[in-house]
Amino acid sequence: MKKIFVWALTLIMVTGLLSGCSETREESIEPKKTKDGKIILDFWTFWGSETRRPIIEKIVNDYNASQDKVFVKHTFLPWGDIWTKNLAAIAAGKPADVVINDINSVAHRAKNGQAENLSQYINDDGFKDKFYPELWKTVIHEGDPYAVPFNTDTRLLFYNKTAFKEAGLDPNKPPKTWKELETYAQKLDKKKGDQYERIGFYPLWGSFGPESWMMNADNGQGYIDEKGKVKVATKEKVQALNWIKGWNDRIGIDNINAYKADFGSEQSNPFIAGKVAMMVDVGTFYTQIRDYGKDMEFGVAPVPAISESDKNWSQGGGFVAEIPKGSDNPEEAWEFIKYLTDKEAQTYWATKNFDNVANKEASEKAMNMLKGTDQEIYKATVENLDVTKLHPVPVDSPDYQSKINPMIDSVLLGERKASDALKDAEESVESSVGQ
Amino acid sequence: MFIYEGGKKMDSVYVKSENKKSSKAVKKQKMEKRHFIKSLRHREELAGYLFIAPWIIGFLFLMLGPLLFSLYASFTNYNITSQMKFVGFENYKRMFTFDELFWTSLWNTLYYVVFSVPITTAGAILLAVFLNQRVPGIKWYRTLFYLPAVLSGVGVYLLWMQLLSPSTGLVNIALSWFGIEGPAWLYSPEWTKPALILMKLWSVGGGMLLYLASLQGVPKTMYEAAEIDGAGTFQKFFKITLPMITPVIFFDIVTSLIGGFQIFQEAYVMTENGDGGPVNSLLFYNLHMWNNAFEMFNMGYASSMAWMLFVIVMLLTVINLKIGKKWVYYEGGDQK
Repeated sequence: MKKIFVWALTLIMVTGLLSGCSETREESIEPKKTKDGKIILDFWTFWGSETRRPIIEKIVNDYNASQDKVFVKHTFLPWGDIWTKNLAAIAAGKPADVVINDINSVAHRAKNGQAENLSQYINDDGFKDKFYPELWKTVIHEGDPYAVPFNTDTRLLFYNKTAFKEAGLDPNKPPKTWKELETYAQKLDKKKGDQYERIGFYPLWGSFGPESWMMNADNGQGYIDEKGKVKVATKEKVQALNWIKGWNDRIGIDNINAYKADFGSEQSNPFIAGKVAMMVDVGTFYTQIRDYGKDMEFGVAPVPAISESDKNWSQGGGFVAEIPKGSDNPEEAWEFIKYLTDKEAQTYWATKNFDNVANKEASEKAMNMLKGTDQEIYKATVENLDVTKLHPVPVDSPDYQSKINPMIDSVLLGERKASDALKDAEESVESSVGQ
Repeated sequence: MFIYEGGKKMDSVYVKSENKKSSKAVKKQKMEKRHFIKSLRHREELAGYLFIAPWIIGFLFLMLGPLLFSLYASFTNYNITSQMKFVGFENYKRMFTFDELFWTSLWNTLYYVVFSVPITTAGAILLAVFLNQRVPGIKWYRTLFYLPAVLSGVGVYLLWMQLLSPSTGLVNIALSWFGIEGPAWLYSPEWTKPALILMKLWSVGGGMLLYLASLQGVPKTMYEAAEIDGAGTFQKFFKITLPMITPVIFFDIVTSLIGGFQIFQEAYVMTENGDGGPVNSLLFYNLHMWNNAFEMFNMGYASSMAWMLFVIVMLLTVINLKIGKKWVYYEGGDQK
């Protein structure tokens, strides 16, 4: 008895601690219809912030006012929860009717039966032409669309014009190539003794990571090409990684870490605080400068290219509207998605949020509606979409980044040679693709 | 565990007193006493079960189902939404022969457990001994040192990320006072795990409390006897204090070993994008499992990883229980 008891206790202790991760609870079953007999459409987003929530709710309310058979109920789920909740709800057979999801993993969800195939609802051949082709590409899995692009983003070089003047640079001539970026950066560095008071530029601050620079150098080619061929260890990517490493060596890892430790957001964002003179960041970073960088003189430009003959490739992302597999009202859901991604709602979203939208016409219209600097910057972001690439998660190797990133780390820390490390990463990704 | 121990203790006390008496009248009394003990024991057993009933009920009705399901899922290619085909031992094979990150994550976790468990145990004992002194204001000190154990979760991790910041963090500033140039901690692959262990050491207050309670349970008479025999402070500590608190040490080691293998949040919060830190140095077993389950939807594979971890932890716990018999001293005596 005693022995069994001890064993049982041990078993319970171990299993109890092991089962720490539990799946999210099933959503409670809600009435399918409103009191006046309208079908309730569940719409899940992660837009709950002070700025975004009123905007999406206005869009939803406008739609509800125009409908006599459908009522859209917007539910906000926190960013960290929404995907797992969505997944659990699909598995339980009670998903939302429309959900806003990540644009880069649409094919992955399509493959795993988590989103409805939308081809049956799209009768209009011209439908896809409403959206930027680079975005539309990401929603296709085996020839069929599984989502509709909603918004997107792009990355630009932000530069401090005051600092430019101070360093004797022409504030209307931002760097166009990596070479120029380097010479400008050195002129913009400001040191007091050993300490940096201002760092001209450091490639990994902002939101353009090693993979983006490598893509920028490699003619816009990401890690895996459209045919599924792994292209991690190309000559250009090796060169790009060595280039980033060069910045580490010049500025010094200690200085970089020390500097980075003081970074914050808003007023203490390093660019707004004037501690970094140039930074690549998303277009919407402009709103932070506008709201927190009082009278800051700055400019935007495309991300510098590796050489004059190359394009200024930038990186983008975004979100889509999709119908989770198993929705009770797919047809009504589709109608709502059509509205969400149509000109009117998209223009409203674009102008109120200063966000890039997937609908081309709405982009143009928003560009014309905005005024002053808002308009100037928005125009730059829209133009930049032409050179902005998205890199959807490859369906065969969804964890490819976990194989590549540690290799990149080891190069940047000076532990390995770029060519060797990327070669290893390439082989590792290849073996999982062929799995 | 404690109830059971208590029962034993009481039992042996009675046994001892029995031996002293031998007359027939006493024998009858003894029988009665035995009966009383028996029923007392039954009642204690019942009380024990009642106390753990919420646990057992929860286990049977809430956890057992999902548990068995995950055991089955570990032999399938389950991805939550579209497939659940039986694949035999394919997942387990993949773990050992194909998934390099499995080994990385296991290594990271072992490293963490091997260092954090002894260090935090020793730290907790040491702290408890210090806080067991009779000095003015000791209650304040106790509260102060216990405080970190009350704080938990993301807030603490964010705080430590600031403390460990390479140039402006308090830890490295303090080291610089002694002329030591601190490492980059969370940015340097060699120092990420030591950084977490250091953080763990900061919150030994919970363990300290257990030790403090057991320290106060060590009979004063033993120390008095030892003093008369001329034992010094260290002798008293190693010959009396330590042996007397071994049951608590044992309990602490077993639970913190199991807990150590569960490390997840720290790495998830304290690394950029929760990806396991520079060069995968904080990719712990559970983080890798979580990534497989919720990032890639390889739920079947993640389930098999969970069960593999269960086997590993179970084995270690059994070994622990076996070895424990050799060094854990129960006052009651007759522990097997």
